[in-house]
Amino acid sequence: MNQVELAREWSSVVRSASERMVRRMTGEYHEDEWGFDEEFAEAAFPVSEFLYRVWWRVHTTGITNVPGHGRALLVANHSGNIFAFDGMMIVTAIQKEHPLPRWARPLILDWTLAQPGVSYLLRRTGGVAANPANLTRLLEQDHLAMVFPEGAKGFGKPFSERYRLQRFGRGGFVEVALETGTPIIPVAVVGAEEIYPKLGEIGGLARLAGVPYFPLTPTFPWLGPLGLLPLPSRWRIEFLEPIDLSGYGPGASQDRSLVFDLSEQVRETIQEGLYRGLVERGPAFL
Amino acid sequence: MAGGGRVVIAGVATHWGSELARTLERNPEVGEIIGIDTSPPAVDLERTEFLEADIRNPVISRILPGLEPDVVVHCGVIWYPEAGRPSRALHDINVIGTLQLLAACQKTESLRALVVRGSAAIYGSTPAAPSFLTEDMARLYPLKTRFQRDIGELEGYFDNFGRQHPGITCCMLRFQYELGPGLDNPLTRYLSLPVVPTQLGYDPRLQPLHALDATGALAAATLNPVRGAVNVAPDGSISLSRLLRLSGKPAIGVPPVVSSLVLKGLGGFLGSADLSQDGELLMRYGRGCDNTRLREEIGYELAFDSEGAARDFARKESGVQSLFPSPHPGSPVRSIRR
Repeated sequence: MNQVELAREWSSVVRSASERMVRRMTGEYHEDEWGFDEEFAEAAFPVSEFLYRVWWRVHTTGITNVPGHGRALLVANHSGNIFAFDGMMIVTAIQKEHPLPRWARPLILDWTLAQPGVSYLLRRTGGVAANPANLTRLLEQDHLAMVFPEGAKGFGKPFSERYRLQRFGRGGFVEVALETGTPIIPVAVVGAEEIYPKLGEIGGLARLAGVPYFPLTPTFPWLGPLGLLPLPSRWRIEFLEPIDLSGYGPGASQDRSLVFDLSEQVRETIQEGLYRGLVERGPAFL
Repeated sequence: MAGGGRVVIAGVATHWGSELARTLERNPEVGEIIGIDTSPPAVDLERTEFLEADIRNPVISRILPGLEPDVVVHCGVIWYPEAGRPSRALHDINVIGTLQLLAACQKTESLRALVVRGSAAIYGSTPAAPSFLTEDMARLYPLKTRFQRDIGELEGYFDNFGRQHPGITCCMLRFQYELGPGLDNPLTRYLSLPVVPTQLGYDPRLQPLHALDATGALAAATLNPVRGAVNVAPDGSISLSRLLRLSGKPAIGVPPVVSSLVLKGLGGFLGSADLSQDGELLMRYGRGCDNTRLREEIGYELAFDSEGAARDFARKESGVQSLFPSPHPGSPVRSIRR
């Protein structure tokens, strides 16, 4: 009896999977105007879930600071050196922990989008090119957007400078948040600095490959593709108190000093969150 | 446009010039329609007068003022070589032709509006570009390809003309590439290949403009021109991979180093010749345009979004039919099923 039920269950699983495959092969699925394919993102989710739960044992706090609907801007520290797993884990944390899960839309550095393979995986899972026009449009459509204002400077910093926030660009994200009346949610990610510790770099190879830097880690490129395996550090993601900007009015984005002040305020909040998270996490790999 | 206006269509023998003339003919608001080109249009036009003239020739400056047009529509900007228009003549036709036409317009006192059928190729295809480019973003990135530079130069002359003649409404339409059943251009030829080579690791976001909307938007802009550039693009976007899946076309990913060579060879075969570089970049990074001005200022309601245009094209190009062609071509069963 039990075996019959099991067989029936399995046959229905196989049938629905094969039906989905056939449907997708004929193009019958939805893409939004940005090229985000939710079904694809959901199908790829078990990989993120494994990394989140088993590989990095991510501990997430403050998830209720992320609104369940309406526009909001996540601003996080950036690291990783080779792959931006920090963005992926923030998206995963909201999917797994939030009572009203939604897909955060990361804004992606231009040279990443020029890379084959990576570019279309990122786009299909919600990534868009990082520029003010895209951020404005996303927020006007009441999406949950995610930016890493440190950009390549934070992403590619050497291991010795881990958890030291770099300069926050020109504060463009604050301007857009002011113009669109969007709350900013600072996010502090602890753990991503240890997955690919950058010990050095080769300038010539970077120029050849058309990337900002070519990293050397304890495993990459010495172990070949195996060196791309991220180290299993322990992670903490903290969503901090939202900063409400609706009181300033749309004209405030012209005020340079206000933009820099707010940008600096966000930066300090994240930096404090990082120090706190580091103490709470304890040893990096245990 | 007020009732009974006179429209001159430069480049009436081009596909879109003829289509525009046909659409305007059906509109009682439009008075006289005069078509100019080097050869007569291939289709029968009912009440369009045809005048044989070359816009590259300075004689146009003597002809045009005599026609006393209210609106001049320039459909003579061509995107790829056609019969009688080899690729080496493209620069001449597009840049010099437009320059001569502008000189002629300058002498035409009756003129109230000038509409140019330009190209969204001026934006190029850049991975970092906004997903929905607005009209003010044309020169955000350096102009890379020859066609892009031609369009850039042409728009430069056009902008100058607009500034010098504030009395004339100068409207530059930036068209996305057209797609439609029955349409024959390098894109439709590319998508109709039995196996479509794509660039491995890239899946561009595209905005195919349905042929009906391409004509409709051009006619709408002729009747209600607005100042400056206007994107003519459908809503939304569709990825190349999904477009091919909808058409039931097998795609084969070609690795980056080889793909450039393959696409260059393919460009010649598909008839896009020198423009294969534009096509190569487009099929790698894609391009999206914002159509707010078209919808709100020109007031054109698009009939198809990106997905709709792709589906309409796919219906014609059903993979089963192209892989296993019917033993009875044109059999009634197929037309009934459609």
